[in-house]
Amino acid sequence: MLSRAARPALRAGVAAVARPATLNAINAATYATLREIEGRLKSIRNIEKITKTMKIVASTKLTRAQKAMTESRSYGQTSNTVFEKAETKPLEGEGKKTLIVVCSSDKGLCGGIHSGMSRKTRAMLLGKPDTDLVVVGEKCKSQLGRSNGKNLVLSFAGIGKDVPTFADASAIADQISLLPADYSSIQIVYNKFLNAQSYEPVVIEAFSEEAIAQSPNFAAFEIDDDVLSNLREYALANSLYWALAEGHACEQSARRNAMDNASKNAGDMINKFQILFNRTRQAVITGELVEIITGAAASEEG
Amino acid sequence: MAFAWKAAGLTYNRYLAVASRVVRRSLKEDKRIAAERRGEMDLRFAKWENGKQGENKSLASANEAAMAEAAAQQSS
Repeated sequence: MLSRAARPALRAGVAAVARPATLNAINAATYATLREIEGRLKSIRNIEKITKTMKIVASTKLTRAQKAMTESRSYGQTSNTVFEKAETKPLEGEGKKTLIVVCSSDKGLCGGIHSGMSRKTRAMLLGKPDTDLVVVGEKCKSQLGRSNGKNLVLSFAGIGKDVPTFADASAIADQISLLPADYSSIQIVYNKFLNAQSYEPVVIEAFSEEAIAQSPNFAAFEIDDDVLSNLREYALANSLYWALAEGHACEQSARRNAMDNASKNAGDMINKFQILFNRTRQAVITGELVEIITGAAASEEG
Repeated sequence: MAFAWKAAGLTYNRYLAVASRVVRRSLKEDKRIAAERRGEMDLRFAKWENGKQGENKSLASANEAAMAEAAAQQSS
């Protein structure tokens, strides 16, 4: 709600920066221009307040998101250890369908992390055009729905309000496993949290039962065939939870940075406008003084 | 090995969700409220066909319906 309202005003602020040059060219400073500058200054100050608040909100959310991320990492990594030890590899071959799950969120105003993920997905789709897509989050849905609508099979919304829970992940995993097609490998695309400044869209694999059963070191584990499908569903949910939590942390961190930059830019603009405002005010005063003095001199002579 | 919940048409994740809900509900009042927040799920989803988005539905109820269907198939 807030973000929508802020956008047109931000744009107005940008437009305002372009104008002072023309204002300076017309040297006749009047009260009208003075009022105009004052109005703009006020609106920029308000925007700065909004972006500052959003930054603070994102910062507090970030600490929680990071905690959830480190916790979720152990889920994903532990379940991945099994596949590493079993040396599971995705099945290659003709007629094997791949599913890509994109983990974004519903909210914007956080720099380019969503579009980075869409770009990565598009690059993956170029290599394998018949891949199916599942998108979590409105942002990537609208981006990928425009360019690759034919590949989309499922989209989820409502994520990103809060730290993602395991219940979210397992519900999504259930719905994915209910899909009619049989996928040989499921690739989950999410933003990896490198540090507070940089993220990178990466892929984690969730394997099919066949792929797990055919892994070279599979005999190391004593697994009944019945249990295997459970393992697969659970591993998918684990990986999804990891991806969602890490993506959420990246988003909050990116939003914090974006809002920090926005506040800084607003501060710069405020400085510029303050100087312009003072100059114009002085020009108006000087102009009036000149008028009064000349007027007085003229009336004295007459 | 046959699982009772598998016969009832539940997936493993659903089984986990139900089991964890039971554990959460049996906690003491103050811990329960914090724990139940971790079990909340309020997602919506839509199926896509030929580049068109379908209807937006609640994920929880759709999952339940799918499981019920699976159960009906198993018993018949």
